[in-house]
Amino acid sequence: MENIVAQIDNNDVYVVIPARNEATVIGDVIAGIKKAGFENIIIIDDGSSDKTLEAAKNAGAMALRHRINRGKGAAVKTGLVAAQIKNAKIVVTMDGDGQHDPNDIQAVIAPIISHQADVVLGTRLFDSKNISVYKVFANKTANILTRLLTGLWVADSQSGFRAFDAKALDVMAHVGDKYEYDSEIIRQIARNRLKYTEVPIRVYYTDYSKGKAHKQGIVNGCKTLCRLVWNIIS
Amino acid sequence: MKFYQIIVLVISAVMLTQGIARLVVNFSSQSFLKIVTRLIVWCGMIVIAFFPALTDVIAHFVGLEGNINAVILIGFLLIFLIIFRLMSIIERIEKDITILVQKDTLRNDNSTK
Repeated sequence: MENIVAQIDNNDVYVVIPARNEATVIGDVIAGIKKAGFENIIIIDDGSSDKTLEAAKNAGAMALRHRINRGKGAAVKTGLVAAQIKNAKIVVTMDGDGQHDPNDIQAVIAPIISHQADVVLGTRLFDSKNISVYKVFANKTANILTRLLTGLWVADSQSGFRAFDAKALDVMAHVGDKYEYDSEIIRQIARNRLKYTEVPIRVYYTDYSKGKAHKQGIVNGCKTLCRLVWNIIS
Repeated sequence: MKFYQIIVLVISAVMLTQGIARLVVNFSSQSFLKIVTRLIVWCGMIVIAFFPALTDVIAHFVGLEGNINAVILIGFLLIFLIIFRLMSIIERIEKDITILVQKDTLRNDNSTK
């Protein structure tokens, strides 16, 4: 086990962040990840209309750009492929709005390093006063629907903070393009019998992150559900 | 056998054959759940087409007094078929666009070469 741990260091870990119109915060997010000890950062600018790409480059990340917006899932997939090209042994995905704490990366990758899991799901602890009742309710509902559609029960099916090993990376190329990506990941875990575990993570909902227009609302949530069902029956 | 029964049988047979063929060749998009759904929907169409008396039970259950008209059944069948086909086409185009955008992104980036 010690040999396995010794084979992987932070240089083998790539952090993939899908970002759309995050120019004001992406620099701080990248700086935080570097401060936590991870230099390999891939930002996928998913058709932003602001300076997200330039801000990411200036902050020292590898910045790629989708010419047109293709959705969170598509952006993450592009990042995963880029990380594979770079021979990443572990890939961590995080959100680009600064809600995740880079200091949790080490805890999220630990089960993969010790070969206990192929996929690690960061689980938000919904105990902060900053988290609205609506968000907690929406997450519980999404968990139940994910359970019905995938057969797996997870505590936080919609978390964007995850880690994958090389085996899981190959599988995740088949997930959906939009926000249904999060639940599709769970479906792929069940379908391919990947080993997974859940690790608690901290989350910070700022006025900025709560104000993002494209985040999951009721309407987007219904659209996501329709896409999930369609992906199953079509 | 009546004309509408033949139509329903042919369309259902085509849809079922397609689904089973995809499953047999291990088509990546065809899961067990999909094929079960497909079997339920299209086998249900065949059963109702050949045993329309069964719809009396359904009609009684939902509170309708009469039988379901065969024309309405075929109409719904065609509409579902068209919507199903259109959504499949749209989804395929969406996926193709995403693949193009992803390839374009990775090709334009020197750091991943």
